[in-house]
Amino acid sequence: MIIKKKKITRLDVILGLLILAIAAYILYRIAVGLQYKWDWAAIPQYLFRYDEERNGWVPNLLMQGVFTTIRLSLWGTILATILGTIMGLCRVSHSLFNRLIGWTYVELIRNLPPLVLIFIFYYFLSGPIMSALGVDEFVKALSERTQGLLTFLFAPPSMFSPFLAALITLAIFEGAYITEIVRAGIQSIEKGIWEASHALGLSRWQLMRAVILPLVVQRILPPLAGQFISTIKDSAIVSIISIQELTFQGMELMAATYLTFEVWITITALYLILTLSLSLSVGRLEIYLRRSES
Amino acid sequence: MPEKMLGNDIITADKINKTFPNEVQALCDFSTRVRRREVLVIIGPSGSGKSTFLRCLNGLEEIDSGSIVIDGVPLDHKKENRLEIRKEVGMVFQLFNLFPHLTVLDNVSLAQRLVRKKSKKEASETSMELLRKVGIPEKANTFPNHLSGGQQQRVAIARALAMMPKVMLFDEATSALDPEMIGEVLEVMKNLAQEGMTMIVVTHEMGFAREVGDRMIFMEEGEIVEEGSPDQLFTNPKKERTGLFLSQIL
Ligand SMILES: Nc1ncnc2c1ncn2[C@@H]1O[C@H](COP(=O)(O)OP(=O)(O)OP(=O)(O)O)[C@@H](O)[C@H]1O
Ligand SMILES: [Mg+2]
Repeated sequence: MIIKKKKITRLDVILGLLILAIAAYILYRIAVGLQYKWDWAAIPQYLFRYDEERNGWVPNLLMQGVFTTIRLSLWGTILATILGTIMGLCRVSHSLFNRLIGWTYVELIRNLPPLVLIFIFYYFLSGPIMSALGVDEFVKALSERTQGLLTFLFAPPSMFSPFLAALITLAIFEGAYITEIVRAGIQSIEKGIWEASHALGLSRWQLMRAVILPLVVQRILPPLAGQFISTIKDSAIVSIISIQELTFQGMELMAATYLTFEVWITITALYLILTLSLSLSVGRLEIYLRRSES
Repeated sequence: MPEKMLGNDIITADKINKTFPNEVQALCDFSTRVRRREVLVIIGPSGSGKSTFLRCLNGLEEIDSGSIVIDGVPLDHKKENRLEIRKEVGMVFQLFNLFPHLTVLDNVSLAQRLVRKKSKKEASETSMELLRKVGIPEKANTFPNHLSGGQQQRVAIARALAMMPKVMLFDEATSALDPEMIGEVLEVMKNLAQEGMTMIVVTHEMGFAREVGDRMIFMEEGEIVEEGSPDQLFTNPKKERTGLFLSQIL
């Protein structure tokens, strides 16, 4: 690989100055033109608040939102990876029927606006299916300790059913992209590796499980981690169905306090902390994997 | 060398034809029989169909017509038959094709465990024995890309032998190696032949062919031009084309 030396050209300088000037102008307009009164002091209490009963600091609205976002993204990515692996295998299957299933899934999901998907799945899943399955009754019948665990891992009992619907929707959405990552990963395995496995008499299932998938996992770990970051961003969309993740909490808070700019700047910062720290870790991971490869 | 006693036929290939989707006919009515303990050497110019023939023998390529029977099992459309044949036929490739995510030991053990259903311990013991046989027991816990080409190819031979095959196919096993490593691989192959392994060897190593081969086929454009003992082909070829080819590569 050739690494080009980064040089700052005159154009960069001009563009940089231009951006700074625009930013300064906007801030000036907000501060002076709109007569906006900044009130940053009001924000921290919405991150954490002091709980008299428990005698300690507990997460408030915004941090609760952060945790819900993390729960959604983490479980969503895990579910999506399982789904993506199955569908990815379908995509490279010998059977035309399986390939068709994989293809339909990917094309359907990728060619619909995510917002539409959310509504479709929400009304199907959360409405008829969830109640038919008796999810709510099931959760309410659980012992208090189990409910506590469920609340920690997923969502409180009252929100469990919509949370599950949102989670599944997110997983189905991200799963389509992971399907393509898995497919590309499988197809990137050299022909010789397949042939050597066939020549040893491994069945297709055996060679997939013991040879191809382990190799694929090694190769797709970085893009998969990237998809996890995407999931964090995409999870904002379930705010539309009242899942109390970060974006939803932001909207609530803004409606209640009218601290529009403070709230959204805080939300932006929180998302960036999540995604950028993960991006950096993914970069590390990539370097690490490449080193063990040589 | 004392005259080797050959057994009955183990491989029968009868009038096999193979045309690739791009209209290239790689094999035309190709027939041959291989006897137990026989070492058959196949030579021929590039693109003459040598690899295709080997790949047809273990079902890596499907033949269009003709028949292949290996140790009584016909290679047909039945999946079980194909898997059965692959168990009994080991193959060594030009580019080794080791599994990069597995250690040398696991590379050799994998198929024993999955296909032969051996226990981990039993498989490891067999693998170590084979690694000693190919001269690299000390590399058992190394990953393939930390090995030289010659070492990798010896692991690949051990991996194929681990299935206890009745036949071994070698497709230009030394062509991708640096000259100083060719010898160590040929040595392993020579020992194998002496132990009585039935082998089909595609190679450009004429010294090896002459020393180890019981029979030699010279093929061109998917057809056998001439076959006979290596000595006869080298010293007294019946076809002009054979002599020309051999004089070019010697
Ligand atoms: N998968 C394939 N698709 C199309 N054509 C193929 C394929 N494999 C081989 N061929 C063609 O079939 C013919 C025979 O190829 P084969 O690989 O058997 O030759 P070879 O004798 O092994 O040559 P070499 O000494 O170069 O390895 C060649 O013309 C080749 O281009
Ligand atoms: Mg070849």
